[in-house]
Amino acid sequence: MRRIIRRRELVADDVRYAGEPADAGTRAVQPAGEFIAALSAGGAAGAGDASGAGDASGAGDASGGGSAVLLAPPDDVETLAPHLSLLQLIVVEFPKIGEGRGFSQARLLRQRYGYRGELRARGALKRDQLFFLARCGFDSFDLDPAENLEAALGALDAFSVAYQDGSDALVHVQRRASPA
Amino acid sequence: MYRYDQIDRTLVNERVAQFRDQTHRFLAGELSEDEFRPLRLRNGLYIQRYAPMLRVSIPYGLLASKQLRMLAHIARHYDRDYGHFTTRQNIQYNWPALERVPDILADLASVEMHAIQTSGNCIRNITADHLAGVAPDEIADPRPYCEIIRQWATLHPEFSYLPRKFKIAVTASPADRAAVEIHDVGVRLRRDAFGESGFEILAGGGLGRTPIVGKLIRSFLPQADLLAYLEAILRVYNRHGRRDNIHKARIKILVRTLGAEEFTRQVEQEFQAARAFAPRLTAQAVEHMRSFFAPPPYQVLQDAEPAIGSVSAGTPAYDAWLRYNTRRHKVPGYRVVFVSLKKHGEAPGDISGTQMDALANLADRVSFGMVRATHDQNLVLADVPQSALADVWRELDALGLATANIGTLTDMICCPGLDFCSLANAGSIDIARQIHARFDDLDYLYDLGPIEIKMSGCMNACGHHHIGHIGILGVDKHGKEWYQITIGGSSAAPAALGEVIGPSVPKEQVAETIARLLEVYVRERRGEDERFLDAVRRLGIEPFQERVYETNHSPA
Repeated sequence: MRRIIRRRELVADDVRYAGEPADAGTRAVQPAGEFIAALSAGGAAGAGDASGAGDASGAGDASGGGSAVLLAPPDDVETLAPHLSLLQLIVVEFPKIGEGRGFSQARLLRQRYGYRGELRARGALKRDQLFFLARCGFDSFDLDPAENLEAALGALDAFSVAYQDGSDALVHVQRRASPA
Repeated sequence: MYRYDQIDRTLVNERVAQFRDQTHRFLAGELSEDEFRPLRLRNGLYIQRYAPMLRVSIPYGLLASKQLRMLAHIARHYDRDYGHFTTRQNIQYNWPALERVPDILADLASVEMHAIQTSGNCIRNITADHLAGVAPDEIADPRPYCEIIRQWATLHPEFSYLPRKFKIAVTASPADRAAVEIHDVGVRLRRDAFGESGFEILAGGGLGRTPIVGKLIRSFLPQADLLAYLEAILRVYNRHGRRDNIHKARIKILVRTLGAEEFTRQVEQEFQAARAFAPRLTAQAVEHMRSFFAPPPYQVLQDAEPAIGSVSAGTPAYDAWLRYNTRRHKVPGYRVVFVSLKKHGEAPGDISGTQMDALANLADRVSFGMVRATHDQNLVLADVPQSALADVWRELDALGLATANIGTLTDMICCPGLDFCSLANAGSIDIARQIHARFDDLDYLYDLGPIEIKMSGCMNACGHHHIGHIGILGVDKHGKEWYQITIGGSSAAPAALGEVIGPSVPKEQVAETIARLLEVYVRERRGEDERFLDAVRRLGIEPFQERVYETNHSPA
């Protein structure tokens, strides 16, 4: 069973990605493009049917429903923005070391479009990127399978200060330069 | 200068701890070379031809004497007793041991320095006019803005994994000693009609294998929007810059592909859309930062009479040094002194630990304890009382740092080249030696007037060859070192890229080729005031080509 970091805890993952066996997880994820195409074709209820592997109606967990989608690096978050209320999980892919578009995708989803659900970074990521990812608004992390997750948890606190505003409460330069 | 507070100190210390852990994991086999590379690069560490190379950040080139002493200590203790100043106003060490780099970083942190983002696909060291704060022609001191940008760029959560490196330069002077037009983003201080501070913004400049002059994308940006606008540029670049081809990944390619107009439209659109969440630079924050860069406690002095540099004041060597290695200061009674790192026999930009220590002591005595690094690989004592100049000259001369060649042919920019760099196709330090040997007659150099030679050992253009009045680019031809020559380039506004004069020349003929270019110049020159660059612009490259490629000098 895959383990991930979610909201600063190590948990067993319940997500099933395309190509994974049916018992891999209860929440199926479909590519954002397919999700949007299905919506425009037949409304939200049809989203799951449009995706062969996906099952949007069953993708929500018992607590609140909602779908799960996967954003690839070139995907525009703008096209997903009108549908965010239907989503409870967005997985942002980092397929290669050094891929950085996902940082902007996360920032836009959180800040501009007000997405409040789970925002997951997945891919060629190590603990060394966690600080940046978390500050951009990611709250769950599916890291490189070789990473030591216990050690990675600590890396979320690699820095206790920052120079920019972020999705955390670290002291940043503007607050410092304008003492209340 | 800017002084760290508890936040800055905590951040660099935590960075040292993080890199110590990363180095440990790499040495223990927990991180692969591919995984470790982007991490070490973000701390300025390259694996080079013979050893790792560590590039230490000197924000906008400004150093306190205490910091220079630490750089000397690092040279002695961890390296071979010298360092190399670069075209980004940084310093590089060529022989540190990988496992000791965390200790070097800890030593740097103890004097408020670091190596953060001196390499890698992130926002690099912010460079500026090396005469900031003392130049008579500047609108305002650009360094407070540089420090504001430096802090904003440091460990930026969104822009730490860009398609490629990203360089920002700031100037406040029409003379543009910071070469802002060849940067990913160039920032020029401006005042609007009401005297309000703001900026002109250029984007998409750069050298490398596709040299491009930056495009003006905003003619006046209010001060408060500086960081918000930079974020908009970076976000457009981070999202849409190419990542499939390292040679097409710089922002200049995105700007060129979209066209400056469309790129500007996208940036403006992003800027407007992001307003609610973008950082806003308050006047208070700027004033706070400005307080760190207040002028030093100058004495009330008179300018020397007669004016320095115009009349003999001592020995001919001293006179020449005064004329070539010092500049006017905006405060009466003071002078800007250049410390030449371009002595014959030394690699351009190199300086020993002993020289660094002595210079730090000299700075404490005569220049308020501050030293600056220039992007053309010299150092500057910016605030020297005119009454101390003769003593300063004697000391610098004794240290081998008073070669009176600033702005002349032998004040060359030169990358480390094949001797150190694993990217280089050809040597550049050898060529510098060859040029020094050929043009060792200072009177001839003085007659030639200002000429900038810039040299790179490969097309990555660390030596800025495209913008040299004479540019020299090392190329590999069947395992042999050859050199392509360009003329007519310039970094001063308006920037221009040099034109290739023809087929490249073999190593042993580089100095001869330059001699022929100069011969044409001397023959065609219209009076003493026409610089080499002006003559090339007037004449075009043909007469120069003709002379260089005459028979008996026929490159393959």
